[in-house]
Amino acid sequence: MTSESLDAFVNNLETYGKIYGPVKTGESCSFQEISQSKEMALNYSRTMIPPKKFFLKLKERMFIFDERECEYEETLEDGKIVVFGIHPCDIYALKLMDKIYLDKNPDKYYQMRRENATLIGYSCHPDEYCFCQSQGTNYAVDGFDLFLHELKDKFLVRIGSEKGNKIASENSKFFMDVESSDIQEFREAEGKREKEFTLKLAINGLTDMLALSYESDVWKEYADKCFGCGSCNLVCPTCRCYDVVDNVNMDLKSGERQRMLNSCMLKKHGLVYGGKNFRPTRVERLRNRFNCKGSLREDMMNCVGCGRCTVYCPSKIDYVEVLRRVRGEL
Amino acid sequence: MMENVFLPKLAKIVKNEKMTAMEHFLRLQLLDKKTAEEFQYNLGQFIEISIMGVGEAPFSICSMQNQKYLLDLCIRSGGRVTSAILRLGEGSLVGVRGPYGNGFPLKEMEGSNLLLVAGGLGVAPLRSILQYSLKNRAKYRDITFFYGIRTYDTMLFRDEFNSLLAGGDESGCKFYLSYEDPKDEQCLLLEAEYSDRCMSGVVSKLFERTEISPKDTYAIICGPSIMYKFVGQELTKRDVPPERILISLERRMRCGIGKCGNCIIGDGSSIRYVCKDGPVFTYWDALHTKGMI
Repeated sequence: MTSESLDAFVNNLETYGKIYGPVKTGESCSFQEISQSKEMALNYSRTMIPPKKFFLKLKERMFIFDERECEYEETLEDGKIVVFGIHPCDIYALKLMDKIYLDKNPDKYYQMRRENATLIGYSCHPDEYCFCQSQGTNYAVDGFDLFLHELKDKFLVRIGSEKGNKIASENSKFFMDVESSDIQEFREAEGKREKEFTLKLAINGLTDMLALSYESDVWKEYADKCFGCGSCNLVCPTCRCYDVVDNVNMDLKSGERQRMLNSCMLKKHGLVYGGKNFRPTRVERLRNRFNCKGSLREDMMNCVGCGRCTVYCPSKIDYVEVLRRVRGEL
Repeated sequence: MMENVFLPKLAKIVKNEKMTAMEHFLRLQLLDKKTAEEFQYNLGQFIEISIMGVGEAPFSICSMQNQKYLLDLCIRSGGRVTSAILRLGEGSLVGVRGPYGNGFPLKEMEGSNLLLVAGGLGVAPLRSILQYSLKNRAKYRDITFFYGIRTYDTMLFRDEFNSLLAGGDESGCKFYLSYEDPKDEQCLLLEAEYSDRCMSGVVSKLFERTEISPKDTYAIICGPSIMYKFVGQELTKRDVPPERILISLERRMRCGIGKCGNCIIGDGSSIRYVCKDGPVFTYWDALHTKGMI
């Protein structure tokens, strides 16, 4: 696809749902609804809030109830969307979410939104906070419908699903066959990109290193810096803990059950009956977050190296620095 | 249309009976007959009970599967949901989701001695195993039950356990009782009558009273988290292999199916969800998973 056809192609995507793309908002970037491709800042580094917001709402209604009738009514509603310009790290994060939310007990809310969404990836260049290369999430092999690799005056487009194939064939006028020179250019661009990464984290054996460093003083040191605000959870593309509350209407009979994103950095996360808390101090909560992110649960690293938690930490706690301290490298 | 796993099924309270100052016995019947019949659970699994407008909380089922599809629970008041449940009269409706979690490996335990160690409210899931093993007595060898209470007033299922005490070995189970308050008069009376089966102290002291054959015993522990450490140590001292010591854990379990993440425990090499990988774990797991006990 040539660079000039991007506008027209993006316009045509309307057929597949509301289009969301990375838009510059203040100093950061955010996935917002767009009508034209030029509204997008496609050379963005990262959005503050990851694309998980499309699938796992900050706050959402699960169902409504009526005490007298005692009935639970489903309230699922959502339209089709196209998320344009998603980066490989965020694609990997959604793959992890899929493993969790679409397992043998699929989460209907997530599943419905996921089925309604088309993901169009877009190539990126790392900044000083990206360490996806170390996490092995810098190149998306699958998990997207289409993926656009920006070359000099064109895009090399990869098709990642049947849905993507359908979009490509219905918009075939924008696409051209791949020439061997395109492949050469793509190879060179990818090779060059591989060398752009400056931030590295050794993840071999990290899981065991975390286990061995459970009693390390490093946790205490960073917990003293940590505000316990939970920003890292909000901006993390793989953080998905949620809490559930019932909201009662003014009649005190009917109401709705809501779920909202929770944060393991908040005190109530480990709270059970009788005031017993399994993670009573910030040290335990901080350590738990790093152990969770550094684990290989669901057969993949639970951190995708997007760098958001470091960039948006109000206390400037550097994720990679903490783990390198834990490993004893610093 | 796919089923929404978060929508509770309606159940009627058929019994809500006070057992102690803090605990009630609750018996539920699922309203829909088909749902009730399909509701098959493993002992040690838990359900999520919803009170509309209040919330949802996890509870372990305290009796074995019965023909009438009734669910028995032992509820201690104190939290938002539990206090609300206790206020509900018979005939009231609640929501039920589940059963969730793994449950106890009853098949695997066949042919072995069973040692059940319960502390306080931890008696709830263990009562279901006791019921099952007594009903299927031939499948298991010696059945020993340690029950640790604070005072006589806090003893749950008092009639059942008193008759086990009175029945001695004839009841099919060697029942031992420990109590923490050495001045509790009713416990002292019990001790005077059954001096070999009842003593003051914490539940791990009961190990002084009986021999355990480590090779063919499964120990199943349920109680406050501090208990796991001490009972685990006593069992290890007596050479019971850690993979045959089973524990049942409590955590903040919002969804019960590994989504909400509140019950995650462990370190980088051993992250687990208590709700879907547990709530039953082995002592071996506990030794290798940081923060489990």
